[in-house]
Amino acid sequence: MNSIPLEYYLLVTGLLFAIGFFGVLLRRNTLVIFMCLELMLGACILGLIAFSRFNATIDNPMMGGNIFVLFIIAIAACEVAVGLAIIVALWRRQQTVDVSEITALKN
Amino acid sequence: MDTVANLLFLILLTPLVSAGLIWLLGRQRGALASVISVAAAAVICLAVLHLLFRTWDGEGFAVSMQWLQLGSFELSLGFYLDLVSGIMLLVVGCVGFLIHLFSFGYMKDDAAKARFFGGLSIFMFSMLGIVVAENLFMIFIFWELVGFSSYMLIGHYIAQDDARSAAKKAFIVNRVGDFGFLLGIILVYSTFGTASLPELSALAAAQPEILTTALGLLLFCGVLGKSAQMPLHVWLPDAMAGPTPVSALIHAATMVAAGVFFLGRTVFLFTPEALEVVTWVGVVTALCAAIWAFAQSDIKKILAYSTLSQLGFMVAAFGLGTLWGMTQSSEYALFYGVGASMFHLTTHAFFKALLFLGSGSVIHACHHEQDIFKMGGLFRKMPITGFTFLIGVIAIAGIPFVAAGFFSKDAILFVAKSQNQAAFIILAITAFLTATYMGRLFFITFLGKPRSESAEHAHETSWIMWLPLVVLAVFSVLGGHAFAYPPVLQELIQNWVPHPQGADHTLLIIISLIASVAGLAIAFFFYGTGSYGDRLQKVAPPLFAISRSRFYFDEVYNAYVSKVQQRLADITAFLDTLFIGGLCVRGLAGVAGLGGMVARSLQTGSLHAYVWWFFIGLVLFWAFGAGLFLTF
Repeated sequence: MNSIPLEYYLLVTGLLFAIGFFGVLLRRNTLVIFMCLELMLGACILGLIAFSRFNATIDNPMMGGNIFVLFIIAIAACEVAVGLAIIVALWRRQQTVDVSEITALKN
Repeated sequence: MDTVANLLFLILLTPLVSAGLIWLLGRQRGALASVISVAAAAVICLAVLHLLFRTWDGEGFAVSMQWLQLGSFELSLGFYLDLVSGIMLLVVGCVGFLIHLFSFGYMKDDAAKARFFGGLSIFMFSMLGIVVAENLFMIFIFWELVGFSSYMLIGHYIAQDDARSAAKKAFIVNRVGDFGFLLGIILVYSTFGTASLPELSALAAAQPEILTTALGLLLFCGVLGKSAQMPLHVWLPDAMAGPTPVSALIHAATMVAAGVFFLGRTVFLFTPEALEVVTWVGVVTALCAAIWAFAQSDIKKILAYSTLSQLGFMVAAFGLGTLWGMTQSSEYALFYGVGASMFHLTTHAFFKALLFLGSGSVIHACHHEQDIFKMGGLFRKMPITGFTFLIGVIAIAGIPFVAAGFFSKDAILFVAKSQNQAAFIILAITAFLTATYMGRLFFITFLGKPRSESAEHAHETSWIMWLPLVVLAVFSVLGGHAFAYPPVLQELIQNWVPHPQGADHTLLIIISLIASVAGLAIAFFFYGTGSYGDRLQKVAPPLFAISRSRFYFDEVYNAYVSKVQQRLADITAFLDTLFIGGLCVRGLAGVAGLGGMVARSLQTGSLHAYVWWFFIGLVLFWAFGAGLFLTF
C-alpha cells in the first residue's frame, strides 16, 4: 500500500505550489494568473490529503482531511465560476486581460 | 394693564415687532413695510403721550429682572424711568413719529424702501432701549444696536462709494469711543459692585469719595463717539451721505443726543475734574464746528456742522451747569447741568429735525440737488417749507422770546457766565457764528433768483411731507415754554433748568439779541441773496481756507491709519500668515498630506506589486512567528 513515501507527495506539492506562485507573480495574462492560483490551491489540497493518508490508523482513519478536501474542491469550483465571470466582464469592459494594463486602483 | 411697566414694554417692543414683521413679510413689499413702520411709530408716539400725560406720576420708577447669571456676575434687564428719560421718550416718540411720516413721502420712490423702513424700526427699538434701560450693561447693548442701525441707514444708498465709506467710518470711529465706554462700565461695576442706575445713584451719594476722575472720563469716551465730540467728530459730517430723514432722526435729533442723555443719567458719577474736561471738549467742539460750517456749500453738511456745534453746547452745558450747581445750595442745584443740557437737547431736537426735514423737502423738490449755490428763490416756490425753515433758523439763532432755542441757549450761557468766563465768551461767539452761518444758509437757499434748472422747477411737496414740518415748527416755537410739556416733565423745565435773574437776565438778553440779530444781519448783507459763489472765498481766501481745512482732522486720521495702523496691520498679517496660517494650520495639513502621498505611492494599481506586498507581509508574519524579532 505504502509504496510511494510521503516525501514524494510533498515534493510534488511544493513543485506545484512554486509553479503556481511564480506564475501569479510573473505572468501577465489574467487567465493564466487565475489558472496558477488554482494550481496553488491544488498543491495545498494534495499536501492535505497526503498528510491525512499517512497519519491514518485503523482506530482513527482521519476522514476529516478527506472531507476537508472535498469542501475545498467545492468552494474552489464556486470561486472559479465567480473568477471567470469577472474576467469575462473585464474583457468586455476593457478589451484586455493584461494585468499591467489594468491599473484603475492606482493612487 | 395700564401701568407704567406695561406701557414701557409696549413702547419698547412695538418697533421690534414692526422690524420683525417687515423682515418676515415685507422685504419685497416696500409699501407694506412703510405702512407697518409708520404705524409702529404712531403707536409708540401715542403710548409715550399716554404714559406722560395719564399714567406716570413723575416719581422715579425702576423695575428689573435677572437675565443672566455668570458666577457672581449678574446681568439684569429692566426699566428705569425718571425725568431725564421721560423727556427723552417724548423727544424720541414725537420727533420719531413725525420723521417716519416725512419718510413716507420722501422715500416713496426708493427701490430699497423695505430695508429703509426696517432699519428705522430697528433704530427706534435700539434708541428707546437706551432711553428706558435700567443698568449700564443694558445701555451698552442698545448703544451698540443704535450704532449698527446708524451704520445700516447711513449706507442705505449702497451703490454710492461715499455712502459705503461713510457708514464704515461712522461704525469704526464709534468703536474707538465705545472701547473706552466699555472700560468705564467695567470700572463702574468693579468699583460699586453694581451697574444698576438707581443703585449707583444711591451709592455714589452715600460715599462720594470712591468716585474717580478716570471713571467719568472713560464713560465720557462713549459720549465722544456717539455724540460726535472732538476728536471723534469726524464721522458725523460724512454720515450725511444717508437719506435725509435718517440724518434728521439719527444724526440730529435722537441718536447723537444719546451721549448727552447718557451724561444726564450718570451725572452722579462725574468728579469736578472730569466735568472740567467735559466742559472744554464741548466748548471747543461748539466753536470749531461753527467755524467749519462757513466753508460748506452742501445744505446737509452745513446742518451737520451746526449739529456738532449744538451738541458741543449741550456737553459744555452739562459740565458747566453741574460744576456750578456743586457750588450752589438750592435743592435742584446738582441737576442744573442735566436740566440745561436736556432742555437744549429737547429744543434742538425739534428745530434741528425741522431744519433737516426742511432741507429734505428742498432736496426732494430740487431733484436731489444739495448745493446751496445752485438753489435760490425757493421761498416763493415752496412757501410752507420756506416759512417753517425760517422758524427753524430763528430758533437755532436764538432770537429772544420768539423761539425755543433762545430759552435753552440762554440757560447755557447763564451757567457758563456764572461758572467760567472764558467758556462763556467762546460760547457767546459761537452763538453769533451760529446765527451767521444759518443766515447764510437761509438767504442763499431761499431768497434771490433760482440759479439752476432744478431750482427753477421746484414746487411745494405733498402734505405728508409738509405736515411734519408745520408740527415741528410749532414745537420749535413753543418748546421753550414749560406749559408746552406734559405736567410731569414741567419740574425739569422749571426747576432743573437754571434761569438767569436780575442783572444777568438783562445782560444775557442783550447778548442773545446782539448775537442772533447781528449774525443774521451780517449774513444778509455780506452774502446777499443772489450770489453764485461763496463771497468769503472771494473776499478773504485765507479765512475761507482755514474754515475749509477743518483743522486737518481727517487728513491726520487718514495719515495715521495709512502710515501707522496699516503698517502695524501688515506686520500682524505677515506674522499671521507665517505662524498661525503657515506653521500651525498648513504645517499640520502638510504632515498629513505627506503621509498621504507616501501611502498613495504604495497603491501602484499593478497586481504584481500587490502580490509582492502580500508576500513580504507573509514573510514578516513568519519571521515574527518564528521569534526572529525578539533577538534585537
